[in-house]
Amino acid sequence: MTFPNAIDVPKPQAGSFNPKRPAGLLLQSQALHMREALIKHLEELAKLIAVDPKSLKTESDVSAYIHRATAILHRHAPTPGGK
Amino acid sequence: MSVGLSNLKHLVVLMMENRSFDHMLGGLGLVTTNGKKTYPGINGLTGNESNPDTNGNTVKVQGNAMFQSQLDPDPDHHFPGVDLQIFGAAPGPGRVANMQGFVKDYFTQTNDVQKSHNIMSYFTPDKLPVLTTLATQFAVFNGWFSSIPGPTICNRAFAHYGTSFGQVGMDIFYALDPISSSYERMVQAGHTAKIYYYDQPSSTMEIVNILKNQPQIFATYDQFIADCKNNTLPEYSFVEPCYNDHQGAGGGEVLASDQHPDHNVQQGERFIAAIYNAIRTNPVLWSSTALLIVYDEHGGIYDHVVPPPCMPDGYSASGANAGTGEVFNFDRLGVRVPAVLVSPYIAKGTVVPGTEDPANGRIFEHASIPGTVTDFFLNGDAKRTVREQKASTFLDLLSDQMRTDTDVPYFNL
Repeated sequence: MTFPNAIDVPKPQAGSFNPKRPAGLLLQSQALHMREALIKHLEELAKLIAVDPKSLKTESDVSAYIHRATAILHRHAPTPGGK
Repeated sequence: MSVGLSNLKHLVVLMMENRSFDHMLGGLGLVTTNGKKTYPGINGLTGNESNPDTNGNTVKVQGNAMFQSQLDPDPDHHFPGVDLQIFGAAPGPGRVANMQGFVKDYFTQTNDVQKSHNIMSYFTPDKLPVLTTLATQFAVFNGWFSSIPGPTICNRAFAHYGTSFGQVGMDIFYALDPISSSYERMVQAGHTAKIYYYDQPSSTMEIVNILKNQPQIFATYDQFIADCKNNTLPEYSFVEPCYNDHQGAGGGEVLASDQHPDHNVQQGERFIAAIYNAIRTNPVLWSSTALLIVYDEHGGIYDHVVPPPCMPDGYSASGANAGTGEVFNFDRLGVRVPAVLVSPYIAKGTVVPGTEDPANGRIFEHASIPGTVTDFFLNGDAKRTVREQKASTFLDLLSDQMRTDTDVPYFNL
C-alpha cells in the first residue's frame, strides 16, 4: 500500500542510546511504586506457601489451591511476543 | 451529533513526557508565508518572550532546541520549582503569575548562568516533522494545561481518575472510593479499555492502583500494533511510550521514546508517528478512531501563557506537602503542554482557542480525558469529581466531513 503525502521521519543519530545514563527521579519513583505494588503479591504468596498440601482433603480444597497457585505462576510467565 | 462522532468507536490517548507547548510547537507562531503568519491562530511565540537570568540579563526565547544533551540536568518540575517558574518569585502577598522564573529556577540546578538559558529553547518546526505536521493538519489546542503545577505522577493521575486525590508530587498514592479510574468505569459497564505500555523493561507509570489491582487491562505496544491491524482495538486505549534506554530481548538497542529530558526527542517523534500510522493504515480503524496526543506536564521548560484558575477538586495539599509553605487547593492549573487531536473528521488547520481569546477560548486539562471517555462511552454515568464533571471535553471537534486519503499525511519510518 502506498500513501500520498508521505513525510520522512529522521532516526536519532548513532550514539543516542545510553543505558548508563543516571536514572532520574521519575524512574526511581517508578521502581519505588513497583516495589509497593509487589507487596500485595508477597502477601498472597506467603498465604499459599503457608498451606500444608497434606491438609487439603477434598478435590474442592485441592482445586482451589491449584487455581490460586496457577494464577500466580501464569501471571509471572513471560508475555507472549513481549520484548 | 456530527457524522464523525456517530462513526466514532475508538478513542486512543498517547501521553508523552515533560515538554511545554512553546518548546515543541511555539515555533509555529514564527512561520511566515509572503510576510504573513502562516498559522495566525496558533498561540505560539513572537520571538520576544524573555526571562531574566540570575545576573539580571534578559534571556529571549531561542530556536536552538536540541534533540538530546541540552537539558541535562533534568529541569526542575516539582511543585516549588514550578511555583517559582510561574510567579518569578517566592510565595508572598501580592505576587502575580508572570512566567518569569524559568531561567532562575534552572540555574538552581545547573549553577551555570549560560546553561540556565537553555530552558528558553524551542524547536523550529522543521526539527519536529511529526508533531508539527499533526498539529497543523488536524486540531491543536492553544489552551491545554497540565492539571497541577507539578511533576509526572500526580498529573498522570488526573488523566486516569480526574483527580490526584490531593497529591502534588511523586509519592505513592491510593485511589479513594468512590472515584474509580476511567478503565474500571469502562470495564464495569461492559465496555473495553486497555493501557498499552511499551514493554516489560519500560512498563507503566500507573502502578500502585491500576497495575496492582487490574493487571488484566494492560498490554504492550506490540499488542497495540496487532490490535490495530486485526480490528481488535478496545473502545478506549491509553498508550505509554518507552521510559528508559534498555537492551531489547535480541540484544538490540531500545531507546526511550517518552521525550522526557534528556531522552532523544527524535525517538519520541518516531513513536508518535508509529502510533498514528498504525491507525492511519487500517481504513476501518482510521474512519472510526480519534487519537489525542498530549504531554503530561511541561518538564520545567518555558511557556509564555499564564496558567488559568480552575474548578477545585475538593482536595487540598498542605504547605508542607506542596513544599512552598502555602496550602494548595487545586484551584489553578499547571503550565501549558502540547495537545493535538487527530481524526479524518477534523478539518485541516483547526486551532482550538485558549486563554488568548476571552470570548471563545476553551480550557482543557488532563481531567478532560476521563471526562471525555465517561461522557462519550458511558453517558457521564460514573462517580467522579466535580473537577472532572466540569472539565471541557473535546470530541465536538469531529465534523460531518471525512477527509480524503490524499488530504491526510503518512509518515515514512
